[in-house]
Amino acid sequence: MGRPISIAGVSLEIEEKGQGRPILFLHPGEGLQANRPWLDALARNHRVIAPHHPGFGGSALPDWIGTVDDLAYLYLDLAAQLNLENAVLAGNCFGGWIAAEIAVRNTARFAGLLLAAPLGIKVGGVLDRDITDMHGIPRAEFLRRAWADPAKAEIDYTKLPDTELGAIARGREALAVFGWKPYMHNPRLKRWLHRIDIPTHLIWGEQDGIVSTAYGEAWKAEIPGATMETMPDTGHFPHWEFPEQFAALTSAFTRRLV
Amino acid sequence: MRTWYFSEMAYHPAWEKGLARGSLRVNFPSENLDPQEAGTLLNRYLDEFALCDEVGLDIMVNEHHSTATCMTVSVPMALAIIARETNKARLLSLGNPIANRPDPVRVAEEMAWLDCLSGGRIEMGLVKGAPYEIAPANSNPGRLMRRYWEAHDLIIKALSTTTGPFSWEGEFYQYRAVNIWPRPIQQPTPPIWMTGMSVDTGKAAAEKGHVVGTLLSGGLAKPMYEAYRKRARELGWEAGPDRMAYAAIIGVGTTREEGLRRADIIADYVRTAPVVAEPFTNPPGYNSIGANVAMLKAGPRAHRMVTDRNGVPIDHRTATVEQFMDTETVFAGTPDDVFNQLKAFNQRMGGVGHLLFFGQGGLLNHQDAKSNISLFGKEVAPRLLELGAPEHAAAAE
Repeated sequence: MGRPISIAGVSLEIEEKGQGRPILFLHPGEGLQANRPWLDALARNHRVIAPHHPGFGGSALPDWIGTVDDLAYLYLDLAAQLNLENAVLAGNCFGGWIAAEIAVRNTARFAGLLLAAPLGIKVGGVLDRDITDMHGIPRAEFLRRAWADPAKAEIDYTKLPDTELGAIARGREALAVFGWKPYMHNPRLKRWLHRIDIPTHLIWGEQDGIVSTAYGEAWKAEIPGATMETMPDTGHFPHWEFPEQFAALTSAFTRRLV
Repeated sequence: MRTWYFSEMAYHPAWEKGLARGSLRVNFPSENLDPQEAGTLLNRYLDEFALCDEVGLDIMVNEHHSTATCMTVSVPMALAIIARETNKARLLSLGNPIANRPDPVRVAEEMAWLDCLSGGRIEMGLVKGAPYEIAPANSNPGRLMRRYWEAHDLIIKALSTTTGPFSWEGEFYQYRAVNIWPRPIQQPTPPIWMTGMSVDTGKAAAEKGHVVGTLLSGGLAKPMYEAYRKRARELGWEAGPDRMAYAAIIGVGTTREEGLRRADIIADYVRTAPVVAEPFTNPPGYNSIGANVAMLKAGPRAHRMVTDRNGVPIDHRTATVEQFMDTETVFAGTPDDVFNQLKAFNQRMGGVGHLLFFGQGGLLNHQDAKSNISLFGKEVAPRLLELGAPEHAAAAE
């Protein structure tokens, strides 16, 4: 369990671990999964601050919050309240979308932006599906597309307590509230990515079946000076599938920040 | 008990292919439909609706999308035709899936127009819609019911306001000048219906005083009706049978065998309709957190079952007509059989004022469908009209 914190009147649950340069990590649509080893791996070299998005985990989703814009302002307020300086802003999947929405608004508290397979922009034409319709395919196919090794994603829901199952169901609804239409993107975000004025690094799993490396190249082209590297045998959640390698890549990125 | 005939105007010629693919809805390509054949069927189904007026039945129309199980894509469009072909029947839209409609004022306009056209015969269902309707409409399943209630309030305001325009600046809908022409004959609005399968829906409908309808499972219907009556009493009024509706498959024949045979053919609709690809069965937010917790605990291989009167689970996809009769999904036999079954059902439910008579699933041929409608209209429906609340119904709760 993380600790509760009130931001802009919203009760959030945040996880905090480790010492060093702060990293504000924004979790994917599948949730934070805070008891998985990746948080510890990141915390060896950083002070990791990982909020559960409103509606996920123990975080409330008040009626007045309903867009990714709201989340961007909420986390800017969180960074201010925690007095973060020279922090790394990181996010994966849905969390990467939120991180980019934050970065086009205000980077004053951040020294670098780390995006792992972010959703959030529209690249192709009206008939091109840039982002796999995760809600239009069976769960088993989602796992096959999102993971290089789907066995690592196995969760036996029948063995989880009701409180945890309730949190999973609430999180799934929250993801729909924020990302159902337009599906997991903001049609205008791509045009504002040029505003990102801090070093930006993209990490992409080579087996990502949710958003392709070609989609990653489009992100790279829009953000001034952005770099990108890929991870072999990795799907859509690099930190979850290979926690140690993801932590090592993160440390390599933060070492080159001033 | 009033009787409202309905059929979903199914495109049954494609069912076998859909069953083989494991989905008749959303992702079943329309190349499996022959448009000429669709037109023939639509005309035949509309003739069956028109016959209801001659034999004294009321009429209900519903809609679904992207499916071989129902070709009615627009309730108002179908009712516009039926209104012109009938004189006496009341016409129930059950209904408009208003949380999936981008423009609630348009819904109000269409209902008012139909009410004028039909001489005030419209009854207006405002429904949540089935889970697999989310994908064709691409409406957000998150906060679905908040959107439903805002649309509901706006539609009622639009229908009942005669001194407009008014403005509406809500969470989901914004208008600067709402002022619908024509306005409905029935003021302040045509009678309003809701549908549901839960105790919560029963309570919510009672708070509005709307008719509440449910379908195909007496086991689920009863707690919902009881919740409605209890909530109404808490609010200081007594909810009679005219607030409760129930949809069932009905096969009537001159012999018991003929009635069961017709019901069995119609029941193929129920055996087919739930077959839909997994991702569209439970979009996130559509069902309550509690229902989702139960589904996660049940595991991926579980699927929806209903139980019969003895608590025995019945699988809708494979049930026999006799098993369907035990779940109160089907009533069948001679007119006397069906009347007696419905009388007993009315007793068990504590009084149901509206029977939604599912009399054509698709596969029933035109002669059988007409005979089913005529026999029911002439031999059963008049006797049902005399059924009121059963004695001691309130005490039985």
